[in-house]
Amino acid sequence: MDYNGGTVLAMAGKNCVVVGSDKRLGVQNLTLSTEFQKVFPVTEKCYIALPGLATDVQTLSELFRLKCNMYKLREEREIEPLTLANMISSTLYGRRFGPYFCEPIIAGLDKNNKPHIYGMDLIGCLNFPDDFAVAGCAEAALFGMCESLWEPDLEPDELFETASQALLSAADRNSIVGWGAVIHTM
Amino acid sequence: MDSIVNKFKRSTSTWGDHNMLVNFDVTKEFSLPSFDIPPCHNPIEFLKHNTDEKSNAECRIKFKHGTTTLAFKFQGGIIVSVDSRATTGSVIATQNIRKIIEINPYLLGTMAGGAADCTFWERELGRRCRLYELRNKERISVSAASKLLGNIVYSFKGMGLSMGTMVVGWDKIGPNIYYVDADGTRLKGDLFSVGSGSPFAYGVLDSAYDFDLSAHDAAELGRRAVYHAAHRDSASGGNIHVYHVKQSGWENLGFRDFDDLHWEYQDQPKPSIIGDVQPMMLNIQD
Repeated sequence: MDYNGGTVLAMAGKNCVVVGSDKRLGVQNLTLSTEFQKVFPVTEKCYIALPGLATDVQTLSELFRLKCNMYKLREEREIEPLTLANMISSTLYGRRFGPYFCEPIIAGLDKNNKPHIYGMDLIGCLNFPDDFAVAGCAEAALFGMCESLWEPDLEPDELFETASQALLSAADRNSIVGWGAVIHTM
Repeated sequence: MDSIVNKFKRSTSTWGDHNMLVNFDVTKEFSLPSFDIPPCHNPIEFLKHNTDEKSNAECRIKFKHGTTTLAFKFQGGIIVSVDSRATTGSVIATQNIRKIIEINPYLLGTMAGGAADCTFWERELGRRCRLYELRNKERISVSAASKLLGNIVYSFKGMGLSMGTMVVGWDKIGPNIYYVDADGTRLKGDLFSVGSGSPFAYGVLDSAYDFDLSAHDAAELGRRAVYHAAHRDSASGGNIHVYHVKQSGWENLGFRDFDDLHWEYQDQPKPSIIGDVQPMMLNIQD
């Protein structure tokens, strides 16, 4: 998980969620790119963030794009965050004995605009936090930052600030994470 | 009372001996500091297992490694330029470490590899250089100083010391740079770069190096080379320090924060390295 670097977080506020990642792609110490995408939209109101091995980040983002499109064609509606989380969890467990090296985080609003965030480990164990979810190389630093900065019922602008500061400060303490941050607010 | 004092008086290492001033033994000056070795079957293997990342990726103690340092000679003396980030594994321990060690007012040592190893042994080198000065009533040459350091680390060869340092100074022969590392290598040269970011620094240095650079341009070249290395190498960053070694001794040219330099260089036009070189004639068949 330390090979390519990268870290993500998601936070829940009052009828809003934010999800963000850093922008670095490297091969151990060498930085290859400072604009590497790790947060992918699944629907308008649901995003997945994929930190970890870069090849698995790209493979999984395409795989979930396929699965969500098929879901939409079959069900004739957009996928909900909880359903998506369970779908991702099963996909990851399907590779239990040769896993994808990726610890996805899902953030979105359901059809009633209620905020949902989920995290999971690389073999699909779901985590249902009501405050924040972190993953990636700087997750230890991010836990510390989020625990101290987060408070319940933040408005979208305040939540954006909180998430940015947490991500940037944690990235400053890790050499393989950084080169800026991208935050999506829903 | 005496029995209590005697209980604590026994000490096997000269460095741990707080009575050093009282019990100063002249013959002990030349000896290497003695260290306590762990009482296990194979102390070297034990140390390697717990600290060496190459032989054991899950070692519990990760030393601070990763750096970019460089030094080069030019008409105005020597420019030494370093970054200031120390990393333990992927965590940044500090962005503010001093990697240029001022051994004395005319000798500098750089730090690459293990931070503790470099600071400790270069300070020991400073002590020995001072003793040389007192005995011989003249300043030690850079060649002799680097030889002293090289021989010290050679005696610990195989025990896991990690050090890649440049001993830099201006002695009566002229400006000198010696590269000394923990394997026992000691090389004299005009241009060196040491550390995980050194490949990147070499590229920038080699493209713009000229012996006849002015002092200002040479300092800027040193700064740029470390900046480009810190840009690409994640184990380098923090502040970029530059020192200029002249006949009268070294001068600290200050430091610039890497992030500030990044935005400053973005705004400037890229320095031309192609210049008047003939363009390559490529035989591209359509």
